[in-house]
Parts: sequence; C-alpha cells; structure tokens
Amino acid sequence: MASPVPALEVAGLTKTFTSRKKPPVHAVRNISFTVQQREVVGLLGPNGAGKTTTIKCILGLMLPSAGTVRVMGNDLGREYRQLVRSACAVLEGSRNIYWRMTPRENLDFFTGLYGIPLQRSRPYTDHLLRVFRLEEKRLSQVQELSSGMKQKVAVACALAPRTPLVFLDEPTVGLDVETSYELRETLKGLVKEEGRTIIVSSHDMAVIQDLCRRVIIIKQGSIIVDDQVENLLQLFRTRAYRFTLSNGHDVHLEGAVARQFPGASISRTADRTELEVILPGAEDLYRFVDLVRESGLFIAGINQKEPDLEEAFLQLVRKEAQA
Amino acid sequence: MKERLTVFRAVFTRELIMMQRYLVNSISGVVTLYIVFMLLFVGARAVTGGGLVMGATTMEGLVVGYLVWMFAMMGYQELAWGIINEAQVGTLEKLYLTPVGFRWVNGFAQLSQLAVNLTLLGLVFALILLTTGVALQVDIISVVPLLLITATSAYGLGFALAGLALIHKRIQAAFQIVQFIMVAFIAAPSDAWGRLLPLNLGHRLLTSAMVDGTRIWALPPGSLLTAVLVGAGYLGLGLLVMERCERQARDRGLLGHY
Repeated sequence: MASPVPALEVAGLTKTFTSRKKPPVHAVRNISFTVQQREVVGLLGPNGAGKTTTIKCILGLMLPSAGTVRVMGNDLGREYRQLVRSACAVLEGSRNIYWRMTPRENLDFFTGLYGIPLQRSRPYTDHLLRVFRLEEKRLSQVQELSSGMKQKVAVACALAPRTPLVFLDEPTVGLDVETSYELRETLKGLVKEEGRTIIVSSHDMAVIQDLCRRVIIIKQGSIIVDDQVENLLQLFRTRAYRFTLSNGHDVHLEGAVARQFPGASISRTADRTELEVILPGAEDLYRFVDLVRESGLFIAGINQKEPDLEEAFLQLVRKEAQA
Repeated sequence: MKERLTVFRAVFTRELIMMQRYLVNSISGVVTLYIVFMLLFVGARAVTGGGLVMGATTMEGLVVGYLVWMFAMMGYQELAWGIINEAQVGTLEKLYLTPVGFRWVNGFAQLSQLAVNLTLLGLVFALILLTTGVALQVDIISVVPLLLITATSAYGLGFALAGLALIHKRIQAAFQIVQFIMVAFIAAPSDAWGRLLPLNLGHRLLTSAMVDGTRIWALPPGSLLTAVLVGAGYLGLGLLVMERCERQARDRGLLGHY
C-alpha cells in the first residue's frame, strides 16, 4: 500500500528581505522539514527567529526567495488554489477576525471564503461553538467578548473550513494562565478527535509541550533542533540537577558557576544557596563538586531536576548562540 | 462556479452586516453628500445664476456632474479604503486564504458595494431633485449602463490606489487629492484629448441622456465605444498596478502590516 502523502514538505525554504537602503535581512535560511499527516508539530523560537515568516511563506502570503513548499502534495508555485484548500491559519490571534461581527457570523464568513455553503458548514461550526464554549455568546459582537473568547473565535474560524492542515500562530498570546489552559485543553480534545495535522507556533512552552509530540526549534532563520518533545526532555532529564548548599553564601562560587556552567540558576534563602545546573557529563559533575568544596560550602542535598520544554529550549538556544 | 457563488454570498452578507453595524456612518455619508451638493447648488445660483460649477452650464448639468462624481468617488474610495480597513483590523491576510483568490473576494466586495452605492445614490439623487426642483430624464435603461461605463475608469483608479494602499497603507491624503482631480476630469472640455480622461466622456453622454433625454441607443456609437474603451483601459491599468503592488507587498511581507 502506498504511504500517504505528507501533509507538508518544505525544502530549502529561504526568505531574504532586500532593500536598496538597508543590508539584506535573512529571515529564513534554507529550512527543510516534512510533517506527516495527523502530526502535531510545535514551531519554537525566540522573537524574530523566523517562525511567522516560515508560516507565511508556506501559505503564500509572502513570496519565498528560494525553496519549495508542498501542502498535501500541492506545490505552492503551481497549485496554489489547491494548496489553500488544504490549509488554514490563525495568523495574528484575535486580530484575524471581524470584531464588529458575531462569532456565528465570523464562522459563516470564513467557511464561506473556502466555498463551503452554509448548510454544509453549519453542523461543524455549531460543534465548534459548543466545544469552545461560545454558544451563549454566538450572537454577541466579538468586540464585546473577553480576550480569551476572542482568541477562541479566531481559532475556531481557522478550524472551521476543516482543512487537513492548520497553522496556529501564537494561539494563546496575551491570554491569562487559566484561559490559556482552557484553550489548550479544547485544542487537545479536537486534535485527538479529528486527527488533523496542526502546526503550532508559540512562545508558550506549555502549549507546545501540551499539544505537540514533535518540536522544531528555529533560531536566526535556521532549524537548530527537529525532534520529538519526549526525546528532548529525556536528553535533559539526566543532566539537570538541583543542589542545596548550606553554610551561607559565596559570591565567588556563584560567579564561577555562572561562568563555567551557562544557564545555571542561583537563588538564595537566609542561610542556603540553591543552584540549578545542567551537568552533561560525569567530569562536569566532578568539576562542579570541586568548585563547591573550594568555596567552603557544604552540599546539603542533590535532586535530579525534572526538566520541562522551556528549560530544554533555553539550553539549546544558548548553546547555539555560544557555538 | 458554485464555489465562487458561495464566496460571493459570504462576502455580500458580510457587507450587509457591516453596513448595519456602521449604520450611523452610512447615513452620515448620505447626509454629507446631500449637504455638499446643496452648498454647491445654492452657491452656484447665487454667484452665477446658473450651474457654472463642475463644468456645467446649467443647473441640470450640475446635478448630472455631481451624480457622476458621487458615484465615482464612492467606487474608488470603497476599493482603497477596503484594503486599508482590512489591513488595519488584521483580516487582510485571511482574505488571501481562499481557494478562489483574493481578486475574486475583492471583486465580490466591490460588486456588493456597487449595489449598496446605487441604492444610496438613488436616495441622494431623489432628495436633490425634490429639493432643487431640477427636472431630469431618469430612463433607468439608459442611465444605469452609462453610469457604470463612466464609473469603470474610477474603479481603475480605485484598484491602483488599493494597490498602493497594500504597500504604503496610509495613503488617505492621496484620496483627498484624487477627489478634486476627479472634478477636473469631469469639468475638462471633451476635445480629442479630454475624452481620454477618466469620467469625462461618460459624463457628457450621461448629460445627453439625462438632460436632453437621448436614449442610450441614440447616442453616437463612436462616442459610446470610446467611453467603453477608455473605461476598460483605466480599469485594466488599475488592475495591473494592483497586481504589481500585490506582488511587491507579498515579496516584502507587507500584507499583514499596517
């Protein structure tokens, strides 16, 4: 049996902004990756890393300088109409919808733009209004809704045309913890239920860790990591330690640790020092213990710290910067 | 075809909803157009005793000139403002995400607006005729096609300005200038070169139809054909400018900016 066509194939994607007055800006540099159908992939990166530019190039909203993009087998250059039929997106959060229209009207309009008649789209958009808990507000203008609800309407509008591939660019930006969690849970439910391919770009590591199995980390327009979230966590699980040092504080030790172990975090209580540090190899552990011994402090406790994606991300990005 | 009809329906519904939601704005637009005309009318009568404004020599001519100007202005402003508004609220990029293409969405929006504009224009026009006592021939079969032919060139200007708006976004100052330039186009003499200006020849033909009561099929075929070709030419030029600007906006990543 032939293997299904990948949901997204990006090869050598490059975007350089040129201007007569300014030097060229290389926003995306020769990026290549493939996303299989039903995969949920996180796109992570610091501000200005090129995440949004990558998404916009894939969707044809920006013209790539080089490279090829295929969505469900449809080429960006030659089969754009077909490509759009296969992909939808939330691009700037709640700015992507009409605030003077109601959630129901927005959903009807954005499904209509995909050429889906109301009688076909309504059952699913009704379902979306239910799962996003927007039913009661379906006839209120979006401008009257809370920012969390506005964001939900924007996400629902991107899901409404039922395209096999959906891009969610910063779906939880500006939301409080509770609303972000609620939106994540709803998305998780939908992802599980519908098996669509979703690419989430976010600064919120919890969103990526929660929703995605695979993560692509972009820095300065290049991919620095493309791996399963679990593998990344595993990589750091065995290396992250939390040391509790008793017998006071030592600024020299703290300085030496900060210099020799980038990414280490130091906190103080009245008579203790807490150090969280990544020690990739056994020699690093010995080196660290020697430093503590020289300072005259005592190690009162060692815990292997449970890493999260945020920590893994920071370590990888810093390591890349040093390289 | 079916897909495009669905998109048209969605766009048309959105236009109607927006008009309802911005009802005060819609009404004040009509009132402003009426007040501006009355000021012109009263001023022209007081100063010249006739309609020597907008190239017209009679009050009837003034009303027709104003009608053309109103319709043309509504058309080109809707186009360019539409783009600016979408960019401002952040929905412009989403309108590109449609299998029928942005050009169709934009075209459908203009078509919907055209229907709305014709209704509003009819309202202002009726008010003007009622309050000024000016009598004009309103043969719909002749007037509406002539109005559309005349306004085609204004739509061309609108597409060009919409294209510039895609790149520069804040070009409202240009709108004010074009508004006055349009008056000059209408008022310019319809000589060999003047006929090639946007709105000019169409306005003359419309004056013939509305003031002299000439039916569309009785108009000089050469003039009618020239008016159609001039309109099509400006429309094509406008679309070309829009396409070039759109490409540049996509290349420079400006679609989502404001």
